[in-house]
Amino acid sequence: MRNWNTILLILVALFALNSCKKVIHLDLNTASPQLFIEGNIYDHPGPFSVKLYYSVNFDQSNIYPPAVGAIVSISDNVGNSEQLTERSPGVFYTLPWRGVSGRTYSLNVKVGDKTYSASSTMPASTSIGSIYFQRSLFGNDIFTGIDFSDNGNSSNYYRLVYFVNNVQQPDIHVTDNRLSQNNTISYLIRPSDTDPKLVMGDRVAIRLEAIDKGVYEYLRTAGHLGGQSASPANPISNINNGALGYFNASATRTLSAIVPK
Amino acid sequence: MKKKLVIFCVLFQLVIVSLFSQPYSTISGQIKAASTGEDLIGAVVSVNEFPNLSVATNAYGFFSLSLPPGSYNLTAQYTGYKSQNISVNLDKSLNLNFFLLEQPRELEEVVVYSKRRDENISSTNMGLSKLDPAELRNIPILFGERDLLKTIQLLPGIMPVGEGRSGFNVRGGGSDQNLILLDEATVYNASHLMGFFSVFNSDAIKDMSVYKGNEPAEYGGRLSSVLDLKMNDGNYKKLGVSGGIGLISSRLLVEGPIVKDKGSFIISARRTYADLFLKASRDTSLNKAALYFYDLNAKANYRIDAKNRIYLSGYFGKDVLGFGNTFGINWGNSTATLRWNHLYSDRLFSNSSLIFSDYNYKINLNSGVKMNIISRIQDYSMKQDFQYFGDNNNTIKFGFNEIYHQIIPGVITAITNVSLKSLTNKSALEHALYFSQLLKFSENISAEYGTRLSLFNLMGPGSFYSYDAAGAITSTAQYSSGKFVKSYFNLEPRLSVNYTLDSESSIKTSYARNVQNLHLLSNSTSGNPTDLWIPSSNNVRPELADQISTGYYHNFMENLYEFSAELYYKKLQNQIDYKNGAELNFNENAESQILFGDGRAYGLELYLKKKQGRFNGWLSYTLARTERKFDGINRGAYYPAKQDRTHDISIVGLYDLSKRWSLSATWIYYTGNAVTFPSGKYMLDGKTMFYYKDRNANRMPAYHRLDLGATWIRKKTAKFESSWTFSLYNAYGHDNPYSITFQDNKNDPTKTEAIQTTLFKFVPSFTYNFKF
Repeated sequence: MRNWNTILLILVALFALNSCKKVIHLDLNTASPQLFIEGNIYDHPGPFSVKLYYSVNFDQSNIYPPAVGAIVSISDNVGNSEQLTERSPGVFYTLPWRGVSGRTYSLNVKVGDKTYSASSTMPASTSIGSIYFQRSLFGNDIFTGIDFSDNGNSSNYYRLVYFVNNVQQPDIHVTDNRLSQNNTISYLIRPSDTDPKLVMGDRVAIRLEAIDKGVYEYLRTAGHLGGQSASPANPISNINNGALGYFNASATRTLSAIVPK
Repeated sequence: MKKKLVIFCVLFQLVIVSLFSQPYSTISGQIKAASTGEDLIGAVVSVNEFPNLSVATNAYGFFSLSLPPGSYNLTAQYTGYKSQNISVNLDKSLNLNFFLLEQPRELEEVVVYSKRRDENISSTNMGLSKLDPAELRNIPILFGERDLLKTIQLLPGIMPVGEGRSGFNVRGGGSDQNLILLDEATVYNASHLMGFFSVFNSDAIKDMSVYKGNEPAEYGGRLSSVLDLKMNDGNYKKLGVSGGIGLISSRLLVEGPIVKDKGSFIISARRTYADLFLKASRDTSLNKAALYFYDLNAKANYRIDAKNRIYLSGYFGKDVLGFGNTFGINWGNSTATLRWNHLYSDRLFSNSSLIFSDYNYKINLNSGVKMNIISRIQDYSMKQDFQYFGDNNNTIKFGFNEIYHQIIPGVITAITNVSLKSLTNKSALEHALYFSQLLKFSENISAEYGTRLSLFNLMGPGSFYSYDAAGAITSTAQYSSGKFVKSYFNLEPRLSVNYTLDSESSIKTSYARNVQNLHLLSNSTSGNPTDLWIPSSNNVRPELADQISTGYYHNFMENLYEFSAELYYKKLQNQIDYKNGAELNFNENAESQILFGDGRAYGLELYLKKKQGRFNGWLSYTLARTERKFDGINRGAYYPAKQDRTHDISIVGLYDLSKRWSLSATWIYYTGNAVTFPSGKYMLDGKTMFYYKDRNANRMPAYHRLDLGATWIRKKTAKFESSWTFSLYNAYGHDNPYSITFQDNKNDPTKTEAIQTTLFKFVPSFTYNFKF
């Protein structure tokens, strides 16, 4: 039902054969640089990284200044703790350990005199049942979908990371078991118009991440994109103190397939 | 509450008793069109011997007038009709019907007597606009389809929700805060094709009134406005067929007598065929698409005797949208009204109605997931209205209304093994009791006061949840069938006072409180057929609006020109907004996604109309502000609501060039909506993300547009009539923004850009109309 706006636009386009798009200039408000934090821990061997950088104004280039010299540490709820090493500006690395399902990981970031923290609990992993391909309603494009079994009676949350020929696609895909608890969940990836069009022989891969509620809320609200929402807003972060971004401990499984004829 | 009811009843009895003891005789009856027998609403009977005495017909064409015994000359008048004089010798009460002849179309500047020519000066109504569908025939409109809901947007204080849309905002209210009544039945979704057409086929509509928050006590249930539409009754004299064939839709109307002069029927239907263009497409996926709507209006009435009359009317409409067998959605309204008019005496008019209303949508998914979703809201309602005509300075209205609402938010039938759960059904009772009295204190001062008592009960069965601030369930209560979960009682006082300065000008002031117990959850810019209605509950309190307004009304040049200036201030409580990233679709806990806050709206509305002549039309200007205040938004400060528009101008001009040609033009300008644009950007996993500061701190560019229209009467005889209408929408092709989106530049990914989408430029259309 989130695709209503797509349908509406198609409808509108059918009516108004003369509808048109153009680039316009707007005098947008500016904002002081906002700290963005992104950290992921998986149930496979590390090292894992935490990236820190600042936002820029809309009319500037997409080059984001790193937060150099921050103090970043990660700990878990069984007593492990580690300070990360800044190997390139704004990117901090752990030692090569492996995340464990069921543990709660905490991130602590100190930039100047401000401290930001977040925690995330790694759920149990979920395997992908199968990958399928389907023709789109318009334009005969090939869409990729997966089926997987929800593994329980609790609320589960999932993120799908989509790769085409080993290149990660930037769109956010999340789903939960709210409407299909302990059952098969089917998810069809609707590519954005910047995603590559699939052709026979392409290799697609999907990484299914079992994520916790905080990460799901962040990615879900980030995925809304704000374009058609009546009131676009910043995603709900699981990091405190006003930082943008998220900290995610997730169990992942990946499956790949070749696009058939 | 019981105590209040008792006091109310006692007071009411006193008033009635004092009124029955009059030494006057009563003339009552109906005013009808001579050619068709159609009742005329708001037609005026005046008494030549008492220049200041006149009464207007009610919604059923009924009037009642009390005079001391004697000889009188009575005149009945109605816009577009020749007035009729009847002399009576009044020694006892009598029944008298007028049959008015239609005024032929004249090109000379003739004086056509309107309802009561200075009705806007003398009535106590404020914030009321009436439109006669026949008057709108020549106003140009998108796709050439005449549309009442788009035409009222040309009036002050009423603004479109967006380009080409039939949804509207009244004095800063949301589009769900308008009560839309078709022959008394609530229409929950008044638009076809995602809002580009209204569900009202203007051929089927006789009369339309819009009350902008100052409605009389017989109306209630929405905060901002009441749009009251009455369907045509049909021709009592002879069988008639008329219709129109247009570029994307056609319509047909059949009407005639059931028993000549005693009963009549009317059936009108419309269908669009935009999908035929798709069928012609060579694209194999496009030509499988279905995209159309149809609607049907039907009404029959029969006069049993001089005191009893029954009406049965109904509406049925459906939109169908689908792509082959992979996806389909259809949605539509249906309404049915059974009414009985009864005269208990020549002064006490009664109308009893049984009303049914339904809005539903069905989604059929057959890709990836295979399932069907059905959602509906249904009302079963009973309404009793009495109108008592006292002496001519005193009219009383009272009655009650009972509505049973059933809301089925979503029933899922899955074909594959996906265990999607259906949402819990909700049911509620809405009761209202009202009383109002129109009193003329002196030559100069008249007032209408009244009150509406409303009671809302949310009923079981089901689980009802309470939520904490984060939206998590804190407690669950189980209720069995018919048990009241939550009740809300509200008193809605209404008052309107008219002080007439002289025969050409008056000052009015009014106060009204309105209560709304059904709330539409919609967080899209456009409004979707799948938006969900929810009742007031343990989490959602009734929305309240208090409006005060004052206005100056002046007619000049013998009522040829009509001018009004109205100021309003509206205070809103328990308004609804949504948490950031609110999940409203198919969420059992949708109530946990809501924020509650306050609002205020104020403005100035100016209106100048030239009512008759070869050249006529109007100018309308609104200066307004609409703000909201929510704890979690913009640090709890007032901020502009999405529909806040500072300036809104409409100019409508109609010109009769010759007997065959008439021309029209409309020009519209309004300030862009308040929107939230990005203040910065950052990168998330390779994707450019936007950073937002304050809600609604930005503006869409201003909107303006010129539409042109022409009507050519090809043939006009007593037996057959045909005409062509031509229109050009957005005649100077201004790039009005439908949406503005932000994205990376495709050629230079280090840059971001704002993209404006424009929908309609230079949209021509033509329609062929016929009548025989």
